[in-house]
Amino acid sequence: MPRLGYSYAFLDPGAKRELRRSLLKAVALPGYQVAYASREMPIARGWGTGALQVTLSLVGPEDVVKVIDQGADDSVNAANLRRFIASMSGARTTWDTLEATLIQSRHRIPEERLRPHQILILQVPIPEPLRHVEPSEPRARELHALADYSALWVGLFEETRRFRRSLKGAAYPVMVHGRYVMDPSPIPRWDVPKLHQAPHLTLLAAGREKRLYAVPPHTEVRPLAFQDVPFQVERVRARCRRTGVGHLFLNAIPGEGGLEHELSDTSVLEKLRAGRALGETYYDLEGRFYRDDVPV
Amino acid sequence: MSYVTARGGEEAIRAAEALYRSLLGRLTPAFHEQLEARLPYLLDRLMGEGGVWAPRLAALALAQTGGDLYEGVLLLRAYRTTLPRLSPALALSREELCLLRRISAAFKAIPEGQVLGPTLDYSQRLLRLEALYRAEAPPPPPEAARPAPERYPSVSGWLRRKGLLQAPREAAEGLPDLTTEPLRFPAPRPLALQALARADTGGLLALGYSGMRAYNAHYHPTVSELGLGYAEVRLPHPVRGGAFAIGEVRLSFAEVVAPAQPGEPYRLGFAATLGWNEVKVIAAALLELEMQREEPHPARSQEFVLLHTDPVEASGFALHYKLPHYVTFLSNLLAHQGQPEEVEDA
Repeated sequence: MPRLGYSYAFLDPGAKRELRRSLLKAVALPGYQVAYASREMPIARGWGTGALQVTLSLVGPEDVVKVIDQGADDSVNAANLRRFIASMSGARTTWDTLEATLIQSRHRIPEERLRPHQILILQVPIPEPLRHVEPSEPRARELHALADYSALWVGLFEETRRFRRSLKGAAYPVMVHGRYVMDPSPIPRWDVPKLHQAPHLTLLAAGREKRLYAVPPHTEVRPLAFQDVPFQVERVRARCRRTGVGHLFLNAIPGEGGLEHELSDTSVLEKLRAGRALGETYYDLEGRFYRDDVPV
Repeated sequence: MSYVTARGGEEAIRAAEALYRSLLGRLTPAFHEQLEARLPYLLDRLMGEGGVWAPRLAALALAQTGGDLYEGVLLLRAYRTTLPRLSPALALSREELCLLRRISAAFKAIPEGQVLGPTLDYSQRLLRLEALYRAEAPPPPPEAARPAPERYPSVSGWLRRKGLLQAPREAAEGLPDLTTEPLRFPAPRPLALQALARADTGGLLALGYSGMRAYNAHYHPTVSELGLGYAEVRLPHPVRGGAFAIGEVRLSFAEVVAPAQPGEPYRLGFAATLGWNEVKVIAAALLELEMQREEPHPARSQEFVLLHTDPVEASGFALHYKLPHYVTFLSNLLAHQGQPEEVEDA
């Protein structure tokens, strides 16, 4: 049962209507940042309030909600958000990626492939990919309007000349549908190819910065890269100390004899430890990506 | 089949909150009443930044967070946003305010006089140590020789009638509401004033002071009027038409003036906020004045000031740095240090 004394799923109907309209606009303009009012939420600003508003504007009693933080369902902030969503909406919660209908995530895309009925909601700290080269919001908006991304290309070129690669780790900029450059939120490069031609809808929300944007299903998402210096994902040559898996994204954990590693995705970790079957994953055992039209 | 979701994380959260609350002790209605009666300036700051007039809720927010102002403001804002917005109140002119204190630094005497009202400005700031050991009743204020006027004329209104002040820039037709629409730049003046009204007192002070002290020191604005008082909140009656009052709020405002081009009327900077908070409205009015310049100092541009002084956004983002960042940290580390196979391939 949803909590009494508050509007269903916390937000008042006016706020929900505004959010849904903004989301529709975001879906219609892939990668374009839609400004919205962004209400205060009862968790600290900058801790996922934007994605939380989106989740609450979409959730219904039939939904199954999963919340992860850096891949983990048991992280304290994820647990707090999940508890809040459940208490305000009456929706069921889960750790299982395959079972979820709504997945709110901070900085990871699950390893098991998402399907058309699932919606991924990514928390975004800085939605503006041009922020580092153009701190002014009106000027950045103009550059987007003109599709003028030369400052990003020059930066990438300079890094490539000096270091033979991009120094950008998480939050690697991508070109969406050949039109807007988008910050995919600080997901590792490992997760970036998962957005390309994905069958599911991805919504990205920045509460503090008051911007929403989207990658609709089956959209071209290309990391910014030069033809002769292709984009590459992180390759952690190690195995999970609890499951022995080596082909999925691993967290580094300082141990006695140096770095140890553990699976970042708790849904996968739990299933492997319980001896249950995994869903199809984006990367296979040899580390090959499931599509061959994106560089990894 | 779903996983049991109450595990380590949730238990840890509950235990941490229980510890926090046990250190604060019991919350009682009597304590909240005391806070409301005895710490009005603190509550005013909270309500101003929270953008909501609710002294009892502000007292509760303060008690519930042990006096952590940023947490308290967040509680108020997060509660406020769930309330229905029934109707915008009717606009009030400066001359409709009921003021307890109004002073002008521009003129020795102003129509209806300088009114000091309740203030410590001209007193010695000495700790009254005796009060540590025995109760101390405040001295009764002296009887007024004659009743104070109900309304005071506006100093800037007088300046404007004399042709010394520029005309108001934007009419307040169809007021936008900062709580239901995002701030975009260049922001219309009503939204900028709303953002200043809810801004962090300390943040406005720091930015305002940087201009006062050094970075805009080539001219010295003057406070033409500073006021503390009460504003009656009036709404249009939904059925019978006309207006009716639903109560009053404490309010403060500042108007500052500065020269424009030689021979031209002066420019006006304005700020107002819920509650009595003089340092905030003075800093905000100076910033509002400087934002109007052709090319303000970067730290006084509208975008810089308004985006970086929201207490909920700034404090929330500062605190987010303590959230786990191990995936992003590793990803950035690998990108920076490079991995052997990546470097070879490149």
